[in-house]
Amino acid sequence: MSRRFILAAAVTLALISLVTLTRGHLVSASREGTASTVPNSSESSRVSIPEASITTSASLSETVSTLAAPTTQKSGAKKSSTAASSAKAALAAQAPITVNGVANIDPTKAFGSKNASVTMEIFSDFQCPACKQLFTTTTQRVIDNYVNNNKVYLIHRDFPLPMHAYSRVAASYSRAAAHIGKCESVELALFQNQEKWEMTGDVKGTVAAVLTPAEMKKVQELVDGKTLEPLVEKDKQLGQAVPVNQTPTMIIHTRDGQSYPVVGFVSYDVLKTLLDQLVK
Amino acid sequence: MQSAPFNLRRLVIWLGRIALGGIFIYAGYSKIFAPNLMLQSYFTLKFSILANFSNFGNQVRSYQLLPEAGVYFVAHFLPPAEILLGLLLLVGWRLRVWASIVTLILLGFITVVTRAYLLGLQIDCGCFGKPEPLTGFTVLRDGALFLLAVLMTIFAFQEARNPHPWSAPTPEQPS
Repeated sequence: MSRRFILAAAVTLALISLVTLTRGHLVSASREGTASTVPNSSESSRVSIPEASITTSASLSETVSTLAAPTTQKSGAKKSSTAASSAKAALAAQAPITVNGVANIDPTKAFGSKNASVTMEIFSDFQCPACKQLFTTTTQRVIDNYVNNNKVYLIHRDFPLPMHAYSRVAASYSRAAAHIGKCESVELALFQNQEKWEMTGDVKGTVAAVLTPAEMKKVQELVDGKTLEPLVEKDKQLGQAVPVNQTPTMIIHTRDGQSYPVVGFVSYDVLKTLLDQLVK
Repeated sequence: MQSAPFNLRRLVIWLGRIALGGIFIYAGYSKIFAPNLMLQSYFTLKFSILANFSNFGNQVRSYQLLPEAGVYFVAHFLPPAEILLGLLLLVGWRLRVWASIVTLILLGFITVVTRAYLLGLQIDCGCFGKPEPLTGFTVLRDGALFLLAVLMTIFAFQEARNPHPWSAPTPEQPS
């Protein structure tokens, strides 16, 4: 009797272990605020974007303008109209560019010299803990030692994951702040206070804390107008085309056309070995 | 009286060796070769492995238990150790020793995972190369693996002390 019981227990334990192991790997987590894996949904499956569908700088501006128009008409409010106009003006001045063979770059979310020998794209989610760690440690040192020395051109791509409740909102505020020239300070504030706003959802308050009331007003107008949403969406589409399976993901491009994807958190010392090899 | 070579004790030992050995090898492999694996050159391969150790180190750090030196040690030592222990379990040589070590390691895992879960830490468990949020499910899985390891170890010791008659050395016949 006892032997049978032990045998049954052992088999059950082995089965539970194997089943849970498989499940844990095949199904991505759904608990908010933790996972940085792209879920297995149709939205996040490997998407291959045909060349024709990748919007060029000019057409993206047109798309944004077209999208801005109905918003203005719907609201009918003078405030929204002003916001849309200022967004259009901002976009016209900051149309997406191509650097080192990398297209669809929003210049307000890129740093460094366009003549740098290495271009680094970082796909990240403001609510992902590993992205926070990467931004507050590695990226800051890369900016100090490579971007500011014109060795690396750094592009921040938004890749808000659907499992994170506020990451899309955070991406919108960050994008709007970037378009008034406050990208770095707002991104830093969002990452540094990640644990706070992911509990309360107070993204707006976090952003407002590092901006003047006048700056915050402009940012809020851009966010409310939703005129910059196509830029966030474009970043996401580009990420899906890579494909980005988890955040953070870096794609490091060299002038000779080589690309090096680096997935997950990487310490500065380790990343430095690759950058030193690629920077010429 | 033992009736067959594959009695309960041996079955549990075999089950534990195969399941835990396989899981340990996979866990170690996935930490070393995932999520980054660039095979263009020796340099990129070395970078990929170091990047993966760095990524795993960040997951270890998120448990808020070890100092930086400890994080570095675990991140670089644990993945190869998991592969080695998994292979040793599968081979079965000096099983009692390796089963005991695996059980102790799993005891460590279940302790830190349960602690993190009870503290409500929103972190990845760091069990395998792919990010996997730490949930009650993770605690249950680690608990199941730990119990299997305990049973395997106990039975491995029993088997050594009291070998099955079919596998016990045949007494020499008096001439």
